[in-house]
Amino acid sequence: MLELRKDIFADERDDNLNEIGKGTQRQDMLGHVTGTSSYFNDHKLQGMLHLKVVRSTQSHARIRRIDTTEAERSAGVRRIIRGADVPVNLNTLLSLINFGKDDEPSLAVDKVRYKGEPIVAIVADSEREAFEAVAKVKIDYEPLPAVFDVEDALKPGAPVVNETYPKNTFTYHETYDHQKLRFGDADAALATADHVLEQRYQMSPIEHAPTETNGAIAAPDTNGRYLVYTSTQALFFSVDTCAKILDVPSNTFHFIGGTVGGGFGGKVDTLTEPLAILGAMLTGRPVRYVFGREEEMQYGPPRGAERIYIKDGVMRDGRIVARKIRAYFDSGAYTRLSSYAAVKCAAHLPGPYTIPNVYGDVYCVFTNRTPATAMRGFGVTAMDFAIECQMDKLAHLVNMDPMEFRILNAYRDGDMKAHRREAKNTALIECVQVAAEKAKWPLREEFKRASSRKDGGGSRAVIPPTPTDSSRARPTAPAQQRTSYDRLPPTVTREPPREPPPPAPPPPPSPRPTAPSHGATRFSSVFGTRRR
Amino acid sequence: MAVTVKTFASASEAAGALSSDRTARYLGGGTLVMRALNEGDVSISTVVRAQDQALTRIDASAPRITLGAGVTFARVLAERDLAFLHAPARSIGGPAVRNMGTVGGNLFAPNPYGDFTVALLALDATVAVQGGFGSRDIPIEEFLQARERQAGTLVLSVSCTRPASSEAFRYRKIARIKPKGGSVMTLAAHLPISGGRIAGARIALGSMAPTQIRARAAERALEGRSLDAATIAAAASAAIEGTSPSDNALGSAWYRREVVGVHLRRLLSGQE
Repeated sequence: MLELRKDIFADERDDNLNEIGKGTQRQDMLGHVTGTSSYFNDHKLQGMLHLKVVRSTQSHARIRRIDTTEAERSAGVRRIIRGADVPVNLNTLLSLINFGKDDEPSLAVDKVRYKGEPIVAIVADSEREAFEAVAKVKIDYEPLPAVFDVEDALKPGAPVVNETYPKNTFTYHETYDHQKLRFGDADAALATADHVLEQRYQMSPIEHAPTETNGAIAAPDTNGRYLVYTSTQALFFSVDTCAKILDVPSNTFHFIGGTVGGGFGGKVDTLTEPLAILGAMLTGRPVRYVFGREEEMQYGPPRGAERIYIKDGVMRDGRIVARKIRAYFDSGAYTRLSSYAAVKCAAHLPGPYTIPNVYGDVYCVFTNRTPATAMRGFGVTAMDFAIECQMDKLAHLVNMDPMEFRILNAYRDGDMKAHRREAKNTALIECVQVAAEKAKWPLREEFKRASSRKDGGGSRAVIPPTPTDSSRARPTAPAQQRTSYDRLPPTVTREPPREPPPPAPPPPPSPRPTAPSHGATRFSSVFGTRRR
Repeated sequence: MAVTVKTFASASEAAGALSSDRTARYLGGGTLVMRALNEGDVSISTVVRAQDQALTRIDASAPRITLGAGVTFARVLAERDLAFLHAPARSIGGPAVRNMGTVGGNLFAPNPYGDFTVALLALDATVAVQGGFGSRDIPIEEFLQARERQAGTLVLSVSCTRPASSEAFRYRKIARIKPKGGSVMTLAAHLPISGGRIAGARIALGSMAPTQIRARAAERALEGRSLDAATIAAAASAAIEGTSPSDNALGSAWYRREVVGVHLRRLLSGQE
């Protein structure tokens, strides 16, 4: 049941809104529950042809030869489309908003970079005839060494997955190989912390598994336009991407979408529309291109697998004094949306907690795996999972109740966040209190009385002196000391330093580096290049 | 070439059509064949069906029960006389799959499916097949070993012994998605007791080898002994022998080898 606690933050909310806080029926709900909603695949057009794709059987290989002669003679085949037939055979979704370079061909030409990459498209009278022709295409591969692990991909001498990004990392702002967050001196704080806990979190790719698989039907319309029924979640992204790949003005297309049979992020990449439209352009007939379930599972983009290392310094009283995070996003062979996920992840560090020293490096890494894409909170979900697991382990380490431990470290109004923005309208403490109440989880009185509007600001609003990476020697190897976590009461307790720690160096006089130093300034959005 | 559907009135005609055409595949409940067709399996050009009543007959009154190959799992579940097969039948798919999926089709289901067959293997079933040269009965183990070469033969029915008591037959499916996921592993044990001792133990494992297999070492550890803690421990430690599991999304080969003994011990000691 929906319960709105209107007593909390009553003065900060306008209750004269027409929709928020009120029950409203979704406009497409009636159609869904009565089974009358019309999806893209409900359109059976006269003379419709079917497009199927020959996919790579190799994870990383040079294509020596593509032999389609037998497929051309196969019954019902109307057209065979190769990479050379695609007008602009290199694309990435976010390049439309000037973020990232075009790196993914619609049909592979000289090299395949993941198992399942499309190489040849076949347009035939029936799906069956298209499948039969697909089976007759012969491709001669020269296998290349492949890399499937994000950290292996960053090692010197690792195979280059995607020549657009020869270091196997996405390039931010045409300069940086990762997203950085620097706030205070995490290394110094870790050296003085009572406990240090480093953990590694590894996520799996997750398939969206929509009921309706990705697909599109494109049909020639009058005046040289094309009508496209599509399952896309991002209709205007899709229109622009097709216009770019097919090198025509975007008003050539009349896209009809809006009803999506489950998307969850798996239908933001324009995968089927460009080839369906190209098929319609080349044959003059309506063309339908729909993923089979296996294609959807194996070659449709999943949530990227993330690897996250978190190293926290915590005092005996439960205060977290430092947090160092290294995160690697497995983008697969092409960018799609993982580069943006890494930005979102960096924007989310160090979670909703006030930590005076934060150090974060987030990499978007290319490997010879299926390209990853958006999925429900991508970039944040995995990081939240890792951070909250870490919070439970830290609470255990200092013998605190995990709920109280969160309230203690939660950010409060007026605190300085690691991104150098003052925290406003924070409500984590209230959320934890309500969750504890609902779960009948006992909280001590002082934590019940805590409020996100009390005890914030002041010294917690100060931006600590932050050494820049160039001012200190780069560690040659990640000298990460690991404190193992086990379920016994904590025994790993560092002796307090004999001498008081050296006084913090005086804050440098408002460091304004002339060179654009990304991590040292405030967090930039996806439009970071425009900001400068 | 389009797919041709041929429907016959009798099973023998269907068997004839199946054995004379290399691209023909028999359509039982369709959970395997229709999926293959929809995903573009071009090795199937002919779909053969039969409307023979014999294929859907259940003979559950005799000590040796016989299930027609076309009997669905929903029908097994509806039959009170087949109570010992309810747990394996219920472990397959959701209601929609159980309404369509058949006993005969399950014999051909690859890993991580084919759970009902594990139960049949533990019950020492025989499979009645009809090829181009007439019908014959094959022990299920022999049938499974030659499963890939069974194209051209039609399964008519499966028969197995009825366990003497509900204690004598045990079944457990280990799945990560409940209630209807593919199996990490499936275990079934038939333990007839004679004079306080196990006589004729049969342990069958699913997802522990390319096909369903018997855990013969575990059977030997049980044979002639009473089902006490020491016997169970011996059987559990022998469970891994002869298995060759593979990695899939549900579990790694290493994991399956690690836990097969644990699950067998739980199965034999009646732990939940």
